[in-house]
Amino acid sequence: MNENKIDDDRRPQHSPASVTGSSAHRSVIGIWSRLSRFDWVVLILFVLVLILAAIGPLVAPYPPTIANPLQRLMPPNGAHPFGTDENGIDILSRLIAAPRTDVLIAVLATSISVAIGAPLGVVAGYFEGADRRAMRWMSEGTLRLLDVIQAFPVFILAMVLVAIRGTGAANVVFAVAFVNFPVFLRLVRSELLSQREQVYAEAAVALGNSELGVGFKHLLPNAVPTVLVQVSVTVGFAVLLTAGLSFVGAGVSPPTPELGAMIASGAKFMIIGQWWVAMFPGLLLGLIVFTFAVMGDLAGKLMEPGQRDIASPPGLPNDNAPVAQAFAEGAVLSVRGLTIGTYGRPAVVDGVSFDLMPGEILGVVGLPGSGKSILVRAIVGLLGHGLQRRAGHVLFRGKDLAELDKKALRAIRGYEILPLLPNAKSQLNPLVRVGDLMLAHIRAHNRCSRHEAHARAVRMLGSIGIGDAEHWLTAYPYELSGGMAQRVCLAIALMHRPPLIIADEPTAGLDVTVQRQVLDLMMELCHQSGAAQVLATRELGIIAHYCDRVAVLHEGLIAEMGPVRDVLSAPRHAVTRRLIAAADLRAVSAAAATGASSEIF
Amino acid sequence: MRTLKYIGRRLLILVPQLFLISIITFTLVRMLPGDPARLELGPLAPQEGVELLRHQLRLDKPLPEQYIAYLQRLLQGDFGRSWVNSSSVAQDLLIRAPATLELITAGMLIVMVVMVPIALLSASPSRGWLARATRRISFGYGLLAGALPDFWLGLVLIFVFFSVLGWAPGPEGRLAILDLPPERVTGFYVIDSLLTGDFDTFKSALSHLALPAVTLAFVYGGPIFKMVRASMEAALHSDYTTYAEGLGLPKRTILLWAMRNAAPPAVVVTGVVAGYLLGGAVLIETVFNLNGIGQYAVQSITTADYAPIQGFVLVAAVFTMIVYLIVDLLQFMIDPRVSARAF
Repeated sequence: MNENKIDDDRRPQHSPASVTGSSAHRSVIGIWSRLSRFDWVVLILFVLVLILAAIGPLVAPYPPTIANPLQRLMPPNGAHPFGTDENGIDILSRLIAAPRTDVLIAVLATSISVAIGAPLGVVAGYFEGADRRAMRWMSEGTLRLLDVIQAFPVFILAMVLVAIRGTGAANVVFAVAFVNFPVFLRLVRSELLSQREQVYAEAAVALGNSELGVGFKHLLPNAVPTVLVQVSVTVGFAVLLTAGLSFVGAGVSPPTPELGAMIASGAKFMIIGQWWVAMFPGLLLGLIVFTFAVMGDLAGKLMEPGQRDIASPPGLPNDNAPVAQAFAEGAVLSVRGLTIGTYGRPAVVDGVSFDLMPGEILGVVGLPGSGKSILVRAIVGLLGHGLQRRAGHVLFRGKDLAELDKKALRAIRGYEILPLLPNAKSQLNPLVRVGDLMLAHIRAHNRCSRHEAHARAVRMLGSIGIGDAEHWLTAYPYELSGGMAQRVCLAIALMHRPPLIIADEPTAGLDVTVQRQVLDLMMELCHQSGAAQVLATRELGIIAHYCDRVAVLHEGLIAEMGPVRDVLSAPRHAVTRRLIAAADLRAVSAAAATGASSEIF
Repeated sequence: MRTLKYIGRRLLILVPQLFLISIITFTLVRMLPGDPARLELGPLAPQEGVELLRHQLRLDKPLPEQYIAYLQRLLQGDFGRSWVNSSSVAQDLLIRAPATLELITAGMLIVMVVMVPIALLSASPSRGWLARATRRISFGYGLLAGALPDFWLGLVLIFVFFSVLGWAPGPEGRLAILDLPPERVTGFYVIDSLLTGDFDTFKSALSHLALPAVTLAFVYGGPIFKMVRASMEAALHSDYTTYAEGLGLPKRTILLWAMRNAAPPAVVVTGVVAGYLLGGAVLIETVFNLNGIGQYAVQSITTADYAPIQGFVLVAAVFTMIVYLIVDLLQFMIDPRVSARAF
């Protein structure tokens, strides 16, 4: 229950983009409008390559396979823009004719790889999740066998396969298909494993379909986008492999126009300066492979619903207008007209202003998506990717934080303003020991020896009730429970006795009893050190129990603000009433469990 | 102790894998049309010789026994004989292996020293000129990497730096034709010439190594470059980096800690690429005429000389498995979560 709520609340950061994105992707126009100019170039190249592969030999200006000894090795000129090769054949004509061979072999080979790999992948994925141990062993065995097959040198394997069956296009197709099929087996298997956990797969099984049938009928179609992306990349790789085989004479042999063989025939001339024979086929080869590889990304982008790049802002709009309203005397924090948004979209936080006096606790509450998380993060300057401050000011003790240089900002953040964020475990770097983080934080703001810092960290952990501090200091975050991680963050937040703590759903992700413990501890310690707090939460119960004032945020605007008692007993805004109505149900059960926080309602 | 146990367990997996490899190379030759003894001796050998070899290799016995005989020969270091050179394959591979390893090592060094730092810099969100320049490089490189065929890029580099500019030697091998190879210590000419204090040979070896190594780094460094960049970017945009910034930690610390998280996936990709290279860089060897084991294999295929191919495939596959083993062990060492899950 709690987990879901957090998810809702984290999403607002992206919701404006994804809402418009998902409605747009349904219409065809929406798809095209998502393409950048670069995407268009790739798309046009892709179509060109396909056309060339289809009708290339028919449109070549000169016959691509008939030698003309009188015109050997002519450099590029008017009649032969790319020159002629050692047999006197126009290189441009051979280039136009060659993609048919290379692309056709690659496409055929990749199709065979998919036709073999995908069904095997479904079976492997099915066996892996099966109840019977023997089946799981078989699937494990298949994968280890693939490890070994893939350990063999692809190129030599293909060469040997061609050597066994003789040169010629059909055998190249077979060899290229064989070396690529494990890619699709693995891909389909892993897609299947992640999808069989989905609700619809379980539902289909519950309706009485066989597991393997569900795998083919319901899960395989869902793996199609991923497979298609890989197909495009693999076709590119197969083109390279085909050309490489022909280059060493183990693939398509002359006189059939083929890019690898063309490069091979031009290799010896390259060294003596007759560069055009090998240069142009290589460029075309690179272009074809590039087109297929990027086309894969593009196809993935088009098929992923709502997937879009966040347009990058054209530099920061510098809003240096003087602070409109004077800030309150003696306030720790003054926010004036703060407006935050993604470039080119409506503001997520729109013109928010408030003051916070020393020791005061301001609750910020609102529906999911109201912008409260973004508001509090903006105060600490921790906006996520793509979000930026468009207007307004954040003043800490009268200093505008946006005007400070990086060094001055670093000195304030973490020393005077401390963040306390939700899901503490994900806030801790998984590869940094708790102690290393705490010591780095202490020593970033106080000059002291490691030894001294260590002692302080131990004392601090002890004071928030963590016994055995030495043990926890050497622990990695994955060894901590959610509650323990949040306590560690609390210890970090209180380490320097800061005047201001910015808390964003600090107890999200914790279970109810731990929530209360952490909050009680936090409030008690803040009270002792006189720290002011901005506390964003969606639990009205927390606001009612712990805060002095409350600001109700709705669609980025402050709907109403005032002392907690006044706002909750006489709400003026519809949103506040909705929040109270929703909280009431929970307050009843919470009150029954804890015997607290009910007297306010 | 835990580490030892893990290494032991991981080594145990290697054993069946090696068996599998030997079974596959064994069947590979059986798949070829014709008599294995005839294939090994070549088309010109007299029939009595073939019969004798059939008996020696126990090819007249049932298949399982043939396989056991094959394994026994492998364990004794007997990889058969090449009928083209009439030399021992094991000996041939041993002589040529340093050329290939030197090429792979030099190429991967370029990747590590030049490309990985560029990838790291280009991932940083900084607006400084260095970050912007590296971002531009990485965009351009991202388009080219993986699309250009290595054998063609090698030719173009030879054309530009040898034929036109004359800065680098041509594709004449690891040394100029008149140079004598340095006394063999490691087999790497660059290192051996330094060890013996022969600076002229050192310069020659290095200049002959430069173009192939650059080709290899450019073509096969692509996946490493992209992975380093992507995982560094992910680490810098992650919650823990935001939090560390909010705590006012020094920029250096934040970057170093982000790099710790970018390291495990980068190590895996580097391992996969390195494991692939012994069998994958054969065309670079061929173009630059380095005479390593890859070129040996390619030549053997064109002359239908099967014992060397069998030996090369075996060596390349074993090399790959061993590189994967090293990658697993490295991951175990740098990521505490992996070591926690391993038990």
